Amino acid sequence: MRIARSTWQLIAFPALALAFSLVIEPAWSAQTSTAPVATPTATPTATPTATPTAAPTAAASVAPALDSAAAVAPAEAAAATAPATSDTTVEASTRALDEQIQDLKQSVVDLNKDLFVLEEELLFPANTQVAVFVSMDVGEFFGLDAVTLKVDNREVSNYLYTPREVAALVKGGVQRLYVGNLKAGSHELVALFAGKGPNERDYRRGASIKFDKGVGAKYLELKISDRARRQQPEFEIKDWE
Amino acid sequence: MTRWIGRLCVIASLLVLLRPATAGAATVGELAPDFALPAAAGGNVRLSEHRGEVVLLTFWSSRCAVCATQLAALGELQTTYRSAGLVTLAVSVDDDLPRAAKFARNHPARFPLLLDRRKGVSRAFGIERLPTTVLIDRRGRVRFLQTDYRSTDNSYVAQVRELLDDPL
Repeated sequence: MRIARSTWQLIAFPALALAFSLVIEPAWSAQTSTAPVATPTATPTATPTATPTAAPTAAASVAPALDSAAAVAPAEAAAATAPATSDTTVEASTRALDEQIQDLKQSVVDLNKDLFVLEEELLFPANTQVAVFVSMDVGEFFGLDAVTLKVDNREVSNYLYTPREVAALVKGGVQRLYVGNLKAGSHELVALFAGKGPNERDYRRGASIKFDKGVGAKYLELKISDRARRQQPEFEIKDWE
Repeated sequence: MTRWIGRLCVIASLLVLLRPATAGAATVGELAPDFALPAAAGGNVRLSEHRGEVVLLTFWSSRCAVCATQLAALGELQTTYRSAGLVTLAVSVDDDLPRAAKFARNHPARFPLLLDRRKGVSRAFGIERLPTTVLIDRRGRVRFLQTDYRSTDNSYVAQVRELLDDPL
């Protein structure tokens, strides 16, 4: 009897595992992957987990989106079923439909923006947030290739720049290189710059700053500029007070 | 004894059930993982900057004889379809970087030969065999994965043409 039960175990458990991985798991994953897209009710259920300040805005932008979505279908159906009595009525209904689609698109964009802000607030709360930005002024004596960032001797970012990104920085763009969380107290940031220096030679320089993190968010800027008198690039780290 | 075997089977079954998903491996139909890598000829290349173009991504090694043949064939393909929006990128999975750089110098390609120093990109795409070719459509989704190369096999040319014909 014992042997028979063990044999049953030998066969039944792998068979169950196989059945689960073949039948239930794909169905489950398919269900979970389609759920947010298929049912608009998934979005309102997600909003209660949001912070009280951001949740109403997100929910508010969902409502008109759903209203517009519901309104699109009858309008479309009406346009399809109603006899084309005159060109003007068809044109008017098409314009109305177009406006509704535009409203819907706008609602989606607004919702996306709200969700992005909410994500930032949740992942990087203002009291622990540290953000590091990169900017370039002129860039005649230095062709930026990579920046490695260390906070308290721990590498937090290693970013490679493409020619297109460097061109954007030279034009005056500012890039947020890193955003993270740090507890209050004193910290050290080290930035290592690699690239091509004067006369197209490989060039590596470092810059560091010791800063105090208070209760508010901390913003630091890595600034690359040209020092024309010395014909050399200059690297400095600015603390945005 | 049989009880222990039974328990082992149960544990094995549980391990099958609770196995982690193949994290990071590129799957057909999903967005290709973004990366930035230095090119052997200088400069850096970022995959996401080629959104809107069809990207043929191939993984090679200086120790792989077939890879050299494939890179030459891909050069021809790149020349033919560049104007239609094809971008070819070749990522080296060599451990010996100087050797890879030497290979790149000896086999001048018509597209960037990228050096994956940390193996992060080959891990992200789940590369297990060489040469592996990944075709990415204009929306950044992996559409075809090919883990072999034969000079007589022109199937990937048809795949490239299919993706190039597909508007954004």
